Amino acid sequence: MDVPKGFPYPNIPPDNLPTANRINLGKKLFFDPILSRDSSKSCNSCHHTDKKFTDGLALSIGIDGNLTLRNSMTILNTAYQPYFFWDGGAPTLEQQTLAPIENPLEMDFDVNLVVERLIQHSEYPELFQKAYDLPPSPYTLVRAISNYERSLFTKKSRYDEYLYDNNTSALTASEINGMTIFFGEQGECFHCHGEYNFTDYSFKNNGLYLSYADSGRARITTNSSDVGKFKVPSLRNVEHTAPYMHDGSRATLEDVIEHYNTGGQPHPNKSGLIQPLNLTPQEKIDLVNFLKSLSDKE
Amino acid sequence: MKKALLRSGLIILSTFGVLFTSCKDDDDTEPTPASTEQNLTFHIHTNVGATSVVYGTNYAHTDGRTFNLSDLRYYISNIVLIKQDNSELPISGKVLLVNPSENEYSLGKVPVGSYKGFRFYLGLDSATNHTDPTTYTSENLFPIQTPSIHWSWNSGYIFMKIEGLVDTSLAGNGNVNFPFFYHVGLDQNTKTIDFTNEAFTVASGSDKEIGLEFDLLSTLTNVDMRTENATHTMDNMPLATKIADNWTISFEIE
Repeated sequence: MDVPKGFPYPNIPPDNLPTANRINLGKKLFFDPILSRDSSKSCNSCHHTDKKFTDGLALSIGIDGNLTLRNSMTILNTAYQPYFFWDGGAPTLEQQTLAPIENPLEMDFDVNLVVERLIQHSEYPELFQKAYDLPPSPYTLVRAISNYERSLFTKKSRYDEYLYDNNTSALTASEINGMTIFFGEQGECFHCHGEYNFTDYSFKNNGLYLSYADSGRARITTNSSDVGKFKVPSLRNVEHTAPYMHDGSRATLEDVIEHYNTGGQPHPNKSGLIQPLNLTPQEKIDLVNFLKSLSDKE
Repeated sequence: MKKALLRSGLIILSTFGVLFTSCKDDDDTEPTPASTEQNLTFHIHTNVGATSVVYGTNYAHTDGRTFNLSDLRYYISNIVLIKQDNSELPISGKVLLVNPSENEYSLGKVPVGSYKGFRFYLGLDSATNHTDPTTYTSENLFPIQTPSIHWSWNSGYIFMKIEGLVDTSLAGNGNVNFPFFYHVGLDQNTKTIDFTNEAFTVASGSDKEIGLEFDLLSTLTNVDMRTENATHTMDNMPLATKIADNWTISFEIE
């Protein structure tokens, strides 16, 4: 696996170690609408390769034109995610894979019926046999897709060149200024969006609303102290993954910076790190420029 | 006193046994040794009131409101038998997925003897509840069922799934056409159904069947199906909790 520079080798379940046959099978399944009830939607429908595996929509559109509940997250660097979905409801990637298939707003299908289709298929049984030495089953189905998804990493950005290649000219003066705000006590962004993947994977209420239509993490834990908390997303390629937030309610990076600059709504669960930043117009531009330096170069 | 009576009963029984075997002395066959284990089965009736559930049939709730069912299944697990000396015999690894069209649920072989009672979970223990369902083989009831009785968005099992149609007209005199669903799960909703004072005996030579009756009307006690007609548990905890609390009054020995 082509792990980017500065990234650790990910933890991979021993029963689903990567092989070329597994990755290729998972890739074929990822792009195949056979997974959805009416064969209209594939994983790729909401995770486009040309949008860094997001879909550019505030809320994704599932089967029959249904509006789903949340914004599509990138699946790049998913090998590092300790749990899945905005609310962490799935503890493993393999278990996550079941949800879009079963969700009535997404693929609205039955995993057992997907497996029946795969068993009848002219190519899949042989591909499963090659990959797992087993026929298509819910077990091998979710493992193959997960195996492919774990092989998807972000690529080198100009920020990485600056950091790892000691290329001081990789970033502009504005981007460097934005970086200083980002990693300093002025912006405080790095507390949650830190380290190689620009996330600590914690659940945070960032003061988006006073009252949340989507309770977020509380939907899983039922704790009122988790209302409005969502998993901190990675910022790599953030330039290409608009719109932003769990509900896609912020259209541009400028809108996002403006939200954090105001300090957000005074929700009782709001993270103490979210406070008014008092950024100048130039500092806001610098921050946005820095975020854009996190994009894959190729 | 009870114990003493039991003991004398056993003596009488064994005396008859001796007499019986002595009759067979003529032929040379050895007496069949008394079995030490017998099969234990739960014979479960899943009812609405006194009526066995048939999907699509109209039933009346206790308030007279009409509804029918298209799905009613529930997990029973962690079955424990209580022996005379109060020690416990867990029926390890045995999980039942009960549906109305099936009555017989084998628990496997258990030692012959007198038991003080038994108990079980309606629901699953936390570890079982959150295991990846695709890792289970088809030899048990945990692989994903069709229709599903497992949540993938908050990985865990639905302990009891109740779906059907209900008449939601204000006066309860309209059509039975509004889809309702009660999907109740989540670790904290697992309930112990306690029959630890329902003594039974597993006698040598004959398999034992314990009759149980589940009454959906008890599970829907104080549930107003007109207004309370949907819960995936997390999105309507008060209703899910009410239903789960009612599980403890929904079972009777037949």
